[in-house]
Amino acid sequence: MYLLIKSSILKITSIILAAIFFTLWCPYLVAKAQISNNSQTLKKLELFADIFYQIRENYVDEIDDALLIQSALNSALNSLDPHSGYSSASDFIEQKKREKREYGGLGIEVSLENEVIKVNHAIKDGPAYMAGIRTGDMITSVGGNPVKGKTLAKAVEGMRGDPGDPIKLIILKPDDTKTELTVIRQVVRGRAVRHRIESGYGYVYIETFNNSELTEDLIDALNSITQGLNGDLPGLIIDLRGNRGGLLEQSIKVSSLFLNGGEVLSAKGKKLQDTQRYHAEHGELFPDTPIVILINSGSASAAEIVAGALQDRGRAVIVGRRSFGKGSVQSVIPLSEDNGALKITTQRYYTPSGKSIQSRGIMPDVLVAITPDTGEIKKRLREYNLPNSLSNKDDTNFKEVYEEIIYPNDDWNTSDDFQLHKAIQVLSLKKYHEIIEKNMNIGNLN
Amino acid sequence: MKYVFTVFAMIFAVFLYTSSSLNKTAIAFDGKTYKDAFEQLDLFADVLARVNNDYVVDINNTELISEAINGMLLSLDPHSSYISPKEYKNLLISTSGEYSGLGMEVTLDEGFVKVISPIDDTPAKKAGIKPGDFIIEINDESIFGLSLSEAVDLMRGKPGELVNITIARNNDERIQFNLKREIIKRKIVTYSIKEGIGYIRISQFNENAYQELSKAISSLEKEMFGSVPGLILDLRGNPGGLLDQSIKISSAFLDGGKVVSTKGRKESDNRNYNADKGELLKEVPIIILIDEGSASASEIVAGAIQDRKRGLIVGMKSFGKGSVQSIIPLKGGAEGAIKLTTQRYYTPSGKSIQGKGITPNILIGYFPEDLKKKERKKEADLPNTLPIETGEHQVESEVIMPIDYPPNGFKIDSDYQLKRSVEILKSETYADKLDSST
Repeated sequence: MYLLIKSSILKITSIILAAIFFTLWCPYLVAKAQISNNSQTLKKLELFADIFYQIRENYVDEIDDALLIQSALNSALNSLDPHSGYSSASDFIEQKKREKREYGGLGIEVSLENEVIKVNHAIKDGPAYMAGIRTGDMITSVGGNPVKGKTLAKAVEGMRGDPGDPIKLIILKPDDTKTELTVIRQVVRGRAVRHRIESGYGYVYIETFNNSELTEDLIDALNSITQGLNGDLPGLIIDLRGNRGGLLEQSIKVSSLFLNGGEVLSAKGKKLQDTQRYHAEHGELFPDTPIVILINSGSASAAEIVAGALQDRGRAVIVGRRSFGKGSVQSVIPLSEDNGALKITTQRYYTPSGKSIQSRGIMPDVLVAITPDTGEIKKRLREYNLPNSLSNKDDTNFKEVYEEIIYPNDDWNTSDDFQLHKAIQVLSLKKYHEIIEKNMNIGNLN
Repeated sequence: MKYVFTVFAMIFAVFLYTSSSLNKTAIAFDGKTYKDAFEQLDLFADVLARVNNDYVVDINNTELISEAINGMLLSLDPHSSYISPKEYKNLLISTSGEYSGLGMEVTLDEGFVKVISPIDDTPAKKAGIKPGDFIIEINDESIFGLSLSEAVDLMRGKPGELVNITIARNNDERIQFNLKREIIKRKIVTYSIKEGIGYIRISQFNENAYQELSKAISSLEKEMFGSVPGLILDLRGNPGGLLDQSIKISSAFLDGGKVVSTKGRKESDNRNYNADKGELLKEVPIIILIDEGSASASEIVAGAIQDRKRGLIVGMKSFGKGSVQSIIPLKGGAEGAIKLTTQRYYTPSGKSIQGKGITPNILIGYFPEDLKKKERKKEADLPNTLPIETGEHQVESEVIMPIDYPPNGFKIDSDYQLKRSVEILKSETYADKLDSST
C-alpha cells in the first residue's frame, strides 16, 4: 500500500526548515563522534538525522525519540558481533540489580527421587547444615506442603525467598527417623566446585567461573581430596565441560594455582597500548601432579583461558573436544546522564604462546568423544557459527581431525562417562609426559 | 540568496551549539519541542565516538549508521523500512511494469523471508511454492539477517538464469527448488465463467489493476450475451498494492459515496476517498471471496463493498493490514527513500482493519476442519505490529459464526469456497444475507 507523499507548500517549507535544522546538527555530531573519514560519515549521519526527522513528523503514531534511538543503537551495535549491544538506562539498572541480586535459600543441593526431595549436598555452615540436615537426608514436606505429587521446581519453590524467614521442613533421615526442623533462610552462594576421588585420582568439576569465591572453593576441594588420599595427589582431573565462563579474574587465579609464575593470558585491543598481560603468581600447588583438563564444545571464555594457559605452559594435557571459541572481551561502558550503557567487544584473548582463542577455541591434545561414532563429526554450536561473529585470520583449517577422535564402542554404556574414563587413562600413561614435552616445545618457540 | 542562507545557517548553528551546552534550553520550532530529539541524536554521536575509540577492530561508520537506520525503521512496525537508491529505482519500475524474477510476493517474518503468495503463471507458482513457505537459502547461501530487499535482489536478475532456493515448510521439511528467472508480466486479472456465473480473480493491485478489471468485465458481458447473472470477485491471496487502484476498483461497483478514509497523526492528513458516480454491473449480485492472504488493498475493496451492502463477502477472515505506507524520497531519491507507515485506513462505516481484518458475511473454509490448524499468520501475529486501536473506532462485534467446512472426502482442489459461492449466488441465500448484513 504505497502513497507518494504530496505536501502543501507550507508543509514543504516547514520540512525544509526542520531538515536544515537537523542537518546542521550533523557536523557537530561528527566532531563529537571523533570520526576521521569525515565526509562520508557526515553524509550518512545527515541521512540518519533526516530519517529520524521524517519518522518523528510523519509516522502514523507519536513515537518516543528515546525508543527510536535505542532501536538504532541496538541494531548498530548488534551488527558488530554477537556480544556487543546497547542497554537503555532502565535495562542497565535492571542488569546491575540482577548481577547483585541475592536470594535467600537453605544451602542444599537437591534432586527428586521417589516423590521426595533428596539432599545431595548440604553446604557446610549453610543454614540447613547448621540445623542438622546432612547429605543423604530426604525432605518430605516444605513449609507445611507435602512434596509428594509435585515436580522438583514446584517442591523447592518454598525454599527460596526472603532471607531471614523461617521455614519448616520434615526430614527423613537415612535410618528412617522423621524429624521436623525449622531452618532460617539465608543468602547463600552456590557451591562453585564439586569434587570426588575417581580411581585414586582427584576430580574437580567447575560448573562456572561466575563465582567470586571459586578459587577458595577449589583450594578447599583440593585439600579435601588430598586428605582423602592420605596427603598424596597422584593425578588431577579438572572438568570444564559445559563451563560457559564467567569472571576473568577467577580464570587467572585458577590458572595461577597450577603455574609457578609466568604468563597466563594476554588481551589485545585495537591500539597497542591496550594490550594487557596477566601473570601467575609464584608458587604452585602440586607441582609434580599430572593434570588432565576435560573440555568440550560447551567450554567457553574463562574455561578456555584456563585450558589454553595450562596447555601452552605444558602443565596439563587437554582431553575431550574442541572448545567453543569465545576469545573476546566485552567492556560495559556506562554513558552519561542516565543514557544507559553499551557493551562492546574491546579486546581479544591470546594464550601464552600468542594464539588467539577467538573462533578457534582450544584443541584438545587427545580428542575423545562422549558418544559412539556416527561416521562424521556432528556440527556443534560454536562461536564461529554465530551470525556475524568476530573472525580470526589464524583460524583457517583449525578443525578436529575425524580420524584422530577416539570414540566409545557402540556397546559402551552411555551412562558411563567415556571422556572421563579416557582422562583417567591418560593420567597414567607415558604418553602424558610426551604430550607435555611437545607442548612445552611449541610454547617455547613462540 | 545563497549568502543569506549561509548567514541564516550560521546563526542557527551557533544557536544549536550554545543550546547543546546549556542543554536546558527548549528549542521551540513549528510548535514542537526538539530538545529531546537533539539530546537523543547527541547520545547517538556519543555512542559512535565510544565505538570508534574502543572497539576491538576498526569499524566502518557508514555501515554502522546504515544498521542504525534499519534498526530504527524496523522497530516501528513490520512494514516500515529503508529503501536504498537502487531499490528506490526498482520500486518505481515494479509498480508500473515488469521485472525479471521468480514471481512471488514475500514479506519479512521474524527475520525470515516468508512467501505471502506465488504470483499466478510464474516460475514460483509452477514449481509449487506455497503461501507460508519460508525461504531460508538462495543459491545455497543462508539469507538469515538480510533485509527483505536484499533477499529480493538476490532473486531478481537476468532472465533465464537459474536460482536455487531452499524452502522450509511446516517447520522442518526442507525443499530445494531450482527456478529459472522469467520476465514476470503481471497479468493480474483473469476471468472465466463458472456454472453460468461470472468469475474474476485479481491477484494484486498494481497500476493496471483497474484497467484490466474493466476489460475483464466487458469481456464477460460479451461472452454472456450482455447479461451477467452474478459475479464472484476473487481476492483470495491478494496481498494488496496501490491504494488508488483499490479505490478505483471499489468505485467500479459503487455509484458514488464513501469507499475508504485514511487517518494520520495530524488531523490535516485525514482524507476521505469517494467512488465516482456511475457503476459497472449495476444490480448484479456480487460475492467477494477473501481469505487469510487477502491484505491491505484487498481489504479496502472487501470492506467498502461489505459496508455499503453492495455485495456479500465470503470465505475466511482477511489478513488485517489496515495501514498505509508512504514512500518518502530522501534528497529526491538520490539517497534512496523510506517506506513509512503514515496512516491507518477505515472502512465506510468507520471500522479500522488493522489487526482485525474483514470478517466475511458467510464463513466458508477451504480446507476440511481437521486441517484448519494450518491457519496462516495474520497481521496481528506479526512481531511488533501496529496495535489494534481502542476507542471510538473499535466495534466490538466478535460474534462467533459457524464456519462451513468442506465435507469429508471433498477434493481440496475443487475449491469448496468457490463452489459454495456459486450456489449462494444462485439461491435465495444471497438476498437474505445481504438484507440481514449489518
